[in-house]
Amino acid sequence: MATLPAYLKKNEALTGAPQGPDAASRTKMRPVRDPFQLRALPHEHLFLYNKRIDNSRLVREADPKSRGACWSAIGAASVLAILLTSAFAPSVATTIAGYKLEALRIEERRLLEEHRGLDLQEAELLSPARLDQLARENNLVTPSSGQVFHLEGKPQGAVAMAK
Amino acid sequence: MVERRLTCLAVIVLLWGAAILKNLISLQIFHHREYAVRARSIQEVVEEIPAPRGTIFDRDGRPLAMSLASRSAYINPMKVDVGVASDLLGYLLHLDRAELYLKIKQAADAHRGYLIIKRQLSPEEYDNLLHLKSRIEWVSLSHESQRHYPNGTLAAHVLGSVDFEEKGNAGIEKGLDKELRGTPGRIRLLTDVHRRGIAPQTTIPAKPGTSLTLTLDERLQFVAEREIAAAVRAHNANSGSVVVMKPDTGDILAMASYPTFDPNVPVERGEDPKPRLNHAFSVPFEPGSVFKVITLSAALETTNLRPESPINCNGGKLTLFSRTIHDSHAGMWVVPMETVLAKSSNIGAIQVGLRVGPVNMHDYMKRFGFGQRTGLPLPGESPGKVYRLERWGKTSLASVSMGQEVSVTTLQLAQAASVVASGGMLVKPRLVLKRGDRPEPVTPPVRVLKPENAITMRQMMEGVVLVGTGSRARLAGYSSGGKTGSAQIYDYATKHYTHTYNGSYMGFAPITNPQVVVVVTLNGMHGEAGFGGQAAAPVFKVVAGEALRVFDVPKDLPESPAAPTMVAKNTEDLNDLAIADLDASGHNILEEGEEEEDRSLTVAAQNGTVAALTGPEKQGPPVAVVPAAPKPAGPRVPNFRGMTMRAVLAEAAARGLSILPDGSGIARIQSPPPGAPLHQGERIRVQFAR
Repeated sequence: MATLPAYLKKNEALTGAPQGPDAASRTKMRPVRDPFQLRALPHEHLFLYNKRIDNSRLVREADPKSRGACWSAIGAASVLAILLTSAFAPSVATTIAGYKLEALRIEERRLLEEHRGLDLQEAELLSPARLDQLARENNLVTPSSGQVFHLEGKPQGAVAMAK
Repeated sequence: MVERRLTCLAVIVLLWGAAILKNLISLQIFHHREYAVRARSIQEVVEEIPAPRGTIFDRDGRPLAMSLASRSAYINPMKVDVGVASDLLGYLLHLDRAELYLKIKQAADAHRGYLIIKRQLSPEEYDNLLHLKSRIEWVSLSHESQRHYPNGTLAAHVLGSVDFEEKGNAGIEKGLDKELRGTPGRIRLLTDVHRRGIAPQTTIPAKPGTSLTLTLDERLQFVAEREIAAAVRAHNANSGSVVVMKPDTGDILAMASYPTFDPNVPVERGEDPKPRLNHAFSVPFEPGSVFKVITLSAALETTNLRPESPINCNGGKLTLFSRTIHDSHAGMWVVPMETVLAKSSNIGAIQVGLRVGPVNMHDYMKRFGFGQRTGLPLPGESPGKVYRLERWGKTSLASVSMGQEVSVTTLQLAQAASVVASGGMLVKPRLVLKRGDRPEPVTPPVRVLKPENAITMRQMMEGVVLVGTGSRARLAGYSSGGKTGSAQIYDYATKHYTHTYNGSYMGFAPITNPQVVVVVTLNGMHGEAGFGGQAAAPVFKVVAGEALRVFDVPKDLPESPAAPTMVAKNTEDLNDLAIADLDASGHNILEEGEEEEDRSLTVAAQNGTVAALTGPEKQGPPVAVVPAAPKPAGPRVPNFRGMTMRAVLAEAAARGLSILPDGSGIARIQSPPPGAPLHQGERIRVQFAR
């Protein structure tokens, strides 16, 4: 098989090579070996050409046996693949789910702890002693009994106003 | 030749198979457990699932105590290089290296195999140690839980505290420790090479502690603690306590004790235990005059004495079996029984007690719950002291009638006041509203007083506020009843009563349908300023006023300032001291006013005329009267009490008055009271009972 350098050399020979009797004498001369030239590859001297062949009248002979064998092989491979997949899929899924479950469990615990921490922080901020101190700093006084009106009945957190 | 070779090959194969089989049997049968354990130790980790201690809430769901997860680092001092460990851990955990070195060295010298280096690690410190732990084995990490009390000292005596293992050591933390404490679970984790969990398998599920919802109201508790602390400081008392209770259900809305402590701070060795003592619950005292409520209630039940029945107070001095008993209000002779209560006459109470008799008196003391524990789930409750009848001396009945020779707790007094306030039913105090989501059942109440007697007692106790020793407890916009008490503290060393007092006040409001019972006690006060009417009644006024405001109880009196109290113009009128063996006592000299028979003290107070009356059995000079004041003009509320509903409606229709009748039978209570000024468009609420 011709390599690209060999192909280029062949073109050079076709275009630049001297013609006539001088050429014959020159070809007899031993060429100077290029020290950097690579050793030729096997079959480098062979040049392949495309040849258009009209094979439109050529028809492949039907071979039902080989087709059946092919389909059988495909089917067997598919069944084997399905079996293997169905055999290993649950354990793989279990492992993946296990990772997820553990990650979620850790996350749940972290969130619960965070929630409790926030509850504690809220309780500290809403402690009566702190609110009383803040109220004193802002010159607020406790409304007298009957002074507070709940605007939305008396459920938890109802809006209230003092008259 | 070939056969021989085949035989040799077969033998070799057989031997090879036998060797494999032998190893298989060894691995799978004989050493199965050992290898399984080794595999597990490499592939699996066992983690503890934390079970936080139950949260304690107030009645509105505000957290009073809760636990948060925390992590601790510990080492085995016997297996570490002290220098390396102190350098490394001091750097990672931000601890003082020298101090840590000393700590580890001491532990190692003491051959201790366990030393906690630091509790409550920050997430950063925890991560640092976790990375370190994969390379060195002597550091261990543990998951713990830490108790927090977000409100600091609030309700400290009720909540109690926990030790370093989160085990309750006081208060409800100890009383309901089993329920509050959770049981941690365990989880087995298959891990990968990075020690990440793959397949969690719960072996023991975690059981978190049960949350408790208490009957306490955080706002009321705060007010009660603030007021009792101020009163103790103002009157230079040793200690004080307040109990606020709902009379219909027995719910303890507030239980305050002073001095107090912060449960977030752990107990230290040599610490003064006094601040950690729940004075409302664990410290009994002689109640003094507040106990006259029990005496008079027993009289209403067991004798034919009524509020207007004349009682001879004998001029304020009585000698019984060579023991002379003085009245703090000298000069009272024959007065109605309601005046005995209003003016807190010791002699009058003794006379009433003598009519009741020792058996009935003892019986009613027990019925009111004295001498028995209330059964709250708090450790260290005192049952008080009620002597067995066989141990009563000659003067015991007299002493008990005025609140001596008996010891009670503030909580027991609240329970007794609730009997009067709830129409004669004894309701057991309740501190736990819900355990988890399960409501705590209310103990069925037990009848102690007939309803009409309970109502009569309420009216007489209202007289204490209007014209008696409890004038400083008078509420703006609400009617209230109460009783003051001032008892000398007995010195067991000298066997005499000292001039140090326990001042107390027990009361309820409003009169018609009491919504709240408040009992205030101040211990170890000196001088007249330490009497119950002076020191404890103002605390009642603030706490009860706040309770009525918080619970949106409608006002039953006009908004205008209350009518002036007739007898509270000098401090001696607030003197309700139970005097036993003292010869000298302050005399309360009052001016003589106009007499008006068959009128209640309420009428007298409203009109500003006569407070104490004389009866047909009048003996000696009647002096217990109040200065006359001019009658205000305008229409006044008629007296419907004792009338049938038909008669009440007829009279109201004739006068053009608007009536709000309630119940059936005879008119027992009316609001506004008889004789009160009648405002335009005002309705008169009349309660009927059979």
